[in-house]
Amino acid sequence: MTSSHWILIGILAVAAFAIRLTGWIAGNAIRKSRMAPLLEDLPGLIVVSLVAASLAGQSILTWLAAAVALGTAWKTNSVVATMLVGVAAFAGLSLMGR
Amino acid sequence: MKQGAIAILPLAFGAAIYGFAFGILAAQTGFPWWGVAMMSGAVHAGSSQIVAVEQFSGGSALLGAALAGAALNLRYIGIVASLAEVLQGLPLRFRLLAIHITGDENWALTMAERAKDPAVGAAFLLGSGFVMISVWIASTAFGAVLGASLPDLEQFGLGFAFTAAFIAMARGMWRGHRNTLPWLISFAVTGVLVITGLPKAYAIVCGALCGVTLSLLMRHTRVRER
Repeated sequence: MTSSHWILIGILAVAAFAIRLTGWIAGNAIRKSRMAPLLEDLPGLIVVSLVAASLAGQSILTWLAAAVALGTAWKTNSVVATMLVGVAAFAGLSLMGR
Repeated sequence: MKQGAIAILPLAFGAAIYGFAFGILAAQTGFPWWGVAMMSGAVHAGSSQIVAVEQFSGGSALLGAALAGAALNLRYIGIVASLAEVLQGLPLRFRLLAIHITGDENWALTMAERAKDPAVGAAFLLGSGFVMISVWIASTAFGAVLGASLPDLEQFGLGFAFTAAFIAMARGMWRGHRNTLPWLISFAVTGVLVITGLPKAYAIVCGALCGVTLSLLMRHTRVRER
């Protein structure tokens, strides 16, 4: 492991904890303010944005697999089932696309 | 605490799959298995580690790679903020521990269970968090041990497992039609920004902020209509 590897771990660890601390302080402040409903809405919006970022610019195949995953998630509300079916759909579509 | 530790097991299995995938990626950029384990324990942020290591392997500057990864973790401001009520009453050292072992999965599960039963709280978060961070450290290290000898697994759709997991987590957070418009806006803004070339990390924060703003405006309007 080179010094670059060590530095990368160090910066990431400090930054990750600083962000969590900021969240803790912000959460306490927001909870007592008029903005309190924000804390209820934020989680879903963050996760939806994560999905959008990983799908943007991807092939139709990936979007189709995502649609299958969404259908599975809707029916089962299970992370593991959605991962298994989603990956199987992705692999299946990739094979057909060849 | 035991309740949380048991309830998280299926999710921990899912996380192990992408922990394993991350370990493979990290090994390919020169991290030894113990280095990967140390990073997973100290950073404990999957997407952040993935992006930082990807950028690192892509040859971008060290600081750039670290900051890109850290920035992707900005959502944890929102995630930890939403725990304010759960963490209330815990001694300081347990609060600091709790926010470190909070990850997407055990946080989402705690919030979902709490919606059904208000008695679910800090103990559930801690129990599920301990399992998640242990599995995360072990699976990433294991991936790094085997990774160097394995072919690129991306072609089998392993990368898509991350997307599928987040889709399922979004489903768990769906609270009915009032979510529709803010969620669509967040999705669209993030997607368009990524396509125009903005790094994903910033696109996600911008997208989530647009959704939050709209959501607050909609609540405000509803209150005034009453």
